[in-house]
Amino acid sequence: MKNLLKYVTLLVVGLCVGVGSALTMSGVVGGRSLASFANVNVDGWHSDWSIGTATASPYVRARIARHGLLALAKEEAVYFTRSVDDDGELFTESCRYQISGTGQDAFWWSITLYDSQSRLPMNDDGALSIDATKTGDVDHWSAIISSERPTRNSHWISSHAAGQFDLTMRLYRPSQAILSSPQSSINPPQLQRLDCLQGGAS
Amino acid sequence: MRKIFIPVIVFSLAVVTGHFGTLKAAPSVIMSKAMQTMAERGIPLHQFVLGSRITPQTQSVVRPSPDLVYSICLFDFSGLDVPLAISAGVWDDYGSISFFDAKTNNFATIRVGAGSSEVVLTPHGMASPADPTNGVTHIKTPTKRGLILIRRLAPTLTAYNRVRDLSVEDQCRPLPDVS
Repeated sequence: MKNLLKYVTLLVVGLCVGVGSALTMSGVVGGRSLASFANVNVDGWHSDWSIGTATASPYVRARIARHGLLALAKEEAVYFTRSVDDDGELFTESCRYQISGTGQDAFWWSITLYDSQSRLPMNDDGALSIDATKTGDVDHWSAIISSERPTRNSHWISSHAAGQFDLTMRLYRPSQAILSSPQSSINPPQLQRLDCLQGGAS
Repeated sequence: MRKIFIPVIVFSLAVVTGHFGTLKAAPSVIMSKAMQTMAERGIPLHQFVLGSRITPQTQSVVRPSPDLVYSICLFDFSGLDVPLAISAGVWDDYGSISFFDAKTNNFATIRVGAGSSEVVLTPHGMASPADPTNGVTHIKTPTKRGLILIRRLAPTLTAYNRVRDLSVEDQCRPLPDVS
């Protein structure tokens, strides 16, 4: 009886350890960002080329099911995530940033802000993203990321109610060059921290 | 030695079983829960439903794009013995029809452009119907359950309203049984 109880306890504890380690290592739970799992890194923008495919590892599949359900395979769209500014500091609502970039070799691109739960931040600002239709056909574009509408006339992505956040860049119908050599074919937008409220990142 | 060896083996087997069992089950469980939530919100089987314009208040899946409009059709061949016919109304900007199985795999995507985009979807084991017309794409789903998503680029209210008007042409319906 004593032995039986011992083995049942070992089984239960072992299963719990196994479940917990799987959820943590795959990023289904825990504080690890999507970027920390990536296998493609272009100037701080991270992606995983196996998203959406049956060949993805079980860790990738579990993580994408949780944080990127219904993501497309890379031939149709690629997704890059960035969670730090150019100085390596985590994005936070209490700071203002300037994001700037050029066009992309894809049919359409967008950059959207998400909170730490992979949700759009709960605000009514109507400024959730910037995309190729907003920047137009220009060589260079920029936008302000901040919790309050910028005073000067500029593109704006609102971080109001986002807390700690990240950015997802989507490239729909990427060129073959992007798929085969992303490091040399993607134009990674730059993220400059402008200033922070007291208590925010320095 | 045996007193330690057997408990260690039992514990290790439990850890490995729990670990890989969870990894294997997670996508199916998450997809099943998402489909159940969609059904509870009124999305029926075998019919495209146009989603609301994506806002923080209307988002129902993680990381939706506020610049895209989504139409969803849930499918389940468990109680269906005929193929599904799928098509999307013509859209002059970015558009696609993507197919996801019950394990979250994006097993097919076709583009919605200026021309016709017609698909016949069947599960493995069901014969595809003879195709007397050109331009119909035959796709096999790896699992009996899943969902189909039409994405259309519509970053403004005006564009969303245009999608709403043409989405009445979107079709996801069982083909008549001609056997």
